[in-house]
Amino acid sequence: MVTDRMVSFDIIAEAGEARHGQLQINGRTLETPHLFPVVNFYGGGNEGALFGGGVHRTIKEFLAHDNEITAGEDYSDLFRGVMTSIASLTDYGIREKKLDWYLGKEIREWECFNSFDGMIFADSGGYKILSNGGGLEGADFEKDVDQDQALDMQLALGPDIVVNLDHPIHPDDEFEERVEKMKKTAANAARLAERREDVNGACYLTVHGYYEEMLERSFNLIEDELEEPIPEAFDGIALGSLVPRKDNVEVLVEAVSDCKLEMQQRGYEDLPLHVFGIAGNAMPLLVAVGADSFDSASYLHQAINGKYCVNLFETVSLDEADFDACDCRVCNDDFHVARMRNEMDNLYQKDILGSLAAHNLAIQQQELRKFRQLLTEGDQQLVADHLEEAVKDQKGFRKFVYQLINERINPYFEETDTTYA
Amino acid sequence: MHKTPQVNEVNEFIEIASDFEDPLEVIREALSNSYDANATLVDINIAQDDEGQNTLIITDDGFGMDEDDLSSFFDLGNSNKHDAIGYKGHGTKIYYKSDKICVETVKDGTRIESVMDHPWTKLNNRKLPRYSIDETDTDEPSQTRIEVHGFQAGQGFDPQQLTYNKIEHYIKWKTIGGSTAWFFDDDFHEMDINIELSSTIVDTRDSVETDNRLKFPAENLDPDGEFVAEGMCKHYPPQELSVVLDDGRELSIEVVGMVGGKEARNKMQTYGKHSAQFGIWLAKDHIKVERYNDAIGADNEFFHFFFIANCQDLELSANREKIRNKSGDVYQAITDELDRYMTKVCQESWYRDYIERRKLEDKKRSVRSQENSLEERLARTQELGGLSPSNPAEVIAALERYSANGSPETVEIADFRIDEEVNAIVDTDEGYKNAALQVKLSDFFETETPLTNIDRFVCWKLGDRDALTRIERSSYLGEPIRFDFQNNVIQYGKGDPKTIPVLELDGKIM
Repeated sequence: MVTDRMVSFDIIAEAGEARHGQLQINGRTLETPHLFPVVNFYGGGNEGALFGGGVHRTIKEFLAHDNEITAGEDYSDLFRGVMTSIASLTDYGIREKKLDWYLGKEIREWECFNSFDGMIFADSGGYKILSNGGGLEGADFEKDVDQDQALDMQLALGPDIVVNLDHPIHPDDEFEERVEKMKKTAANAARLAERREDVNGACYLTVHGYYEEMLERSFNLIEDELEEPIPEAFDGIALGSLVPRKDNVEVLVEAVSDCKLEMQQRGYEDLPLHVFGIAGNAMPLLVAVGADSFDSASYLHQAINGKYCVNLFETVSLDEADFDACDCRVCNDDFHVARMRNEMDNLYQKDILGSLAAHNLAIQQQELRKFRQLLTEGDQQLVADHLEEAVKDQKGFRKFVYQLINERINPYFEETDTTYA
Repeated sequence: MHKTPQVNEVNEFIEIASDFEDPLEVIREALSNSYDANATLVDINIAQDDEGQNTLIITDDGFGMDEDDLSSFFDLGNSNKHDAIGYKGHGTKIYYKSDKICVETVKDGTRIESVMDHPWTKLNNRKLPRYSIDETDTDEPSQTRIEVHGFQAGQGFDPQQLTYNKIEHYIKWKTIGGSTAWFFDDDFHEMDINIELSSTIVDTRDSVETDNRLKFPAENLDPDGEFVAEGMCKHYPPQELSVVLDDGRELSIEVVGMVGGKEARNKMQTYGKHSAQFGIWLAKDHIKVERYNDAIGADNEFFHFFFIANCQDLELSANREKIRNKSGDVYQAITDELDRYMTKVCQESWYRDYIERRKLEDKKRSVRSQENSLEERLARTQELGGLSPSNPAEVIAALERYSANGSPETVEIADFRIDEEVNAIVDTDEGYKNAALQVKLSDFFETETPLTNIDRFVCWKLGDRDALTRIERSSYLGEPIRFDFQNNVIQYGKGDPKTIPVLELDGKIM
């Protein structure tokens, strides 16, 4: 199949390493930096129930603009781009028949989702497939998944972005084990490149590593496998394997920054850089060192744990939430506030947590929107001031921000001629 | 009926004067008063007679006192100084701990002489002391001279205790003499300070001459050389931080400071431990009051830092030794802002380089000491003529050498776990055997380890033969034991004893 894909990534403004860009794929446009919330489109249910999935279903009600939930409000700005993984298709122990039925139509071809016009990033689910021994497991089937099968399943979702099946590394991997995983990822990347024409959208390439030398190896192995230069085969780079280090901001900053450096040295700096599985408080710092997009299910996980995001850095338990102090649209909607306060009759837990998850997502998207506005000014100092203000009261976290500002944006204590001896 | 609460004036005078514990505080109060009087020169003379009686004479060229000012000087809590160091009217009460206070002061062509006799005796006899006032016209320039006779200095002016170094340090750390006001554009004026102690107290030099500027050692950002980090020093320029409280009040914090190694810090007027002197100081009137070392967090060592954060909204105890409003929002806001500022200092590139350089130099020092220790080890090894095991790893090496050089039997290490009682599995002509591998065999028996699972002993030496004989003559863990070193075995247990071969390596390797 030869496709007529249109993919472009234009940088609109830059402030140091941080950039505001526009990713266009087949007529859909995404402003970066952007967060792709993880959405499970298929949760074991049928179409009338938006294919189910508990709290995932409530999220889909927001996404699908279900009037009963959104009361006519348009929440599509929270879902301009979403991430969904083929590995999540079997999260609910479905039968093979159902899997085939789900994959029988592209997501937007289902009536319930045909008003959804956000970009769909279809993840290959490398981590989960690898930990499952290289396949997917349902109620009555086990399915080996290699690069071709992963791509077929991704394509069945009708995605705008696909990515090669990767073999994520782990900080505890022995060197040989890590190299072996990188080689397998590289082979899959080469296979995806061969089938490039099957993809009517963007192809992202996964790379792995925590610092420059590791990333250099990852890129080298891929380049060795590919028959053409990376920018000819791929439309973006996706940095993976950071989830096990998600709480170590220094490692995240170093990994993203070094990945960016590798891309610059190899001449791919114009490609968008996606960071797999990371969002929350690290996001602004990673934007500052050059990340263009993120994906995460943290907004859902926080909600499932009853956590209400006050801002990017703080959460409180839902019982302690001050909805009046929040200016997000979810908290300004009496319907959702009543749900989060558990003040309505016949509420299911998924309804309460669904509204909470939407709020948590709104907080993260709001922060990135602010960032995009700041980046449009093209002034690094504005970015620094914003970051500094944001972490003002975050005692443990602010040192990372100060270090970043000091080393990369504006040194706090410039050398002066005056001495005070 | 309404009643007015009464104040016991005598008790209050005693209370406030007693609050000043360190007699050197008299110097701090004198310097503060002179500074408030706009003096450009202040002389303090401290003398002690043969009977140990102290006399203080403080002279300054400030704008002097009129009768009202003199009242404030003697009154308690009745200062007419606003926006000045001595606004509380407490400080001069330290002079009451004396036998006599004489004040001579000139202001606007009027000279006042005033005397108060036996203030401390009278207060302790529950009487308020009185003071005389004699006014005359004069054409002398404004000035003040205060003499305090029989000052109750406790041990403070003891010749054994007091040195010029101590005074100089006190001035720079505790008084307006160590002011940081000059870094900022406040109402700073320069004041020369001269302190002289009588030769009965100390005769090492003539006097201390200084001024009211705290100065840091010269910057030394990137010195060349191998061991230079201790001399490194960086200044952090004066910066005014502002904080807005919830009620809209704005606080201003003036911070200035340095980071430096021990050698650099020693260039300041320090004596004693740096850990007791350096750190993050909170100050009022640019006089350091208390340290707040929490500002730099647990990742850093505070004594590398010398920062002074001045805020006029701090409230102090009567003797100025403590901050009083610590539980309030003002203190919280000040320390929060200081936390942020110091985090920036700690994340700054130079500081991180400085710490890194220190670490590298420490490593180099440790390599040097390692080299010395290696030389000693080499000499010892040469003296002993080669391998002489003092730990299990060396016994393993000896065993390998034994096996590799034509030993009559094969005994090779197959597995070794240092922390286990049966620490080795050895490969022998009879297959794998559980073994205890020891430097000295006698050490094994000191720990009273059971012999149940031990098939072999491998040791460098038998060790303390007397100790082994002693065990043999009693028993080992309730069972008879015999050390048969003629046949290199241990017999253990009643009836049919277990025979455990012992391989002693000393003397068997080439």
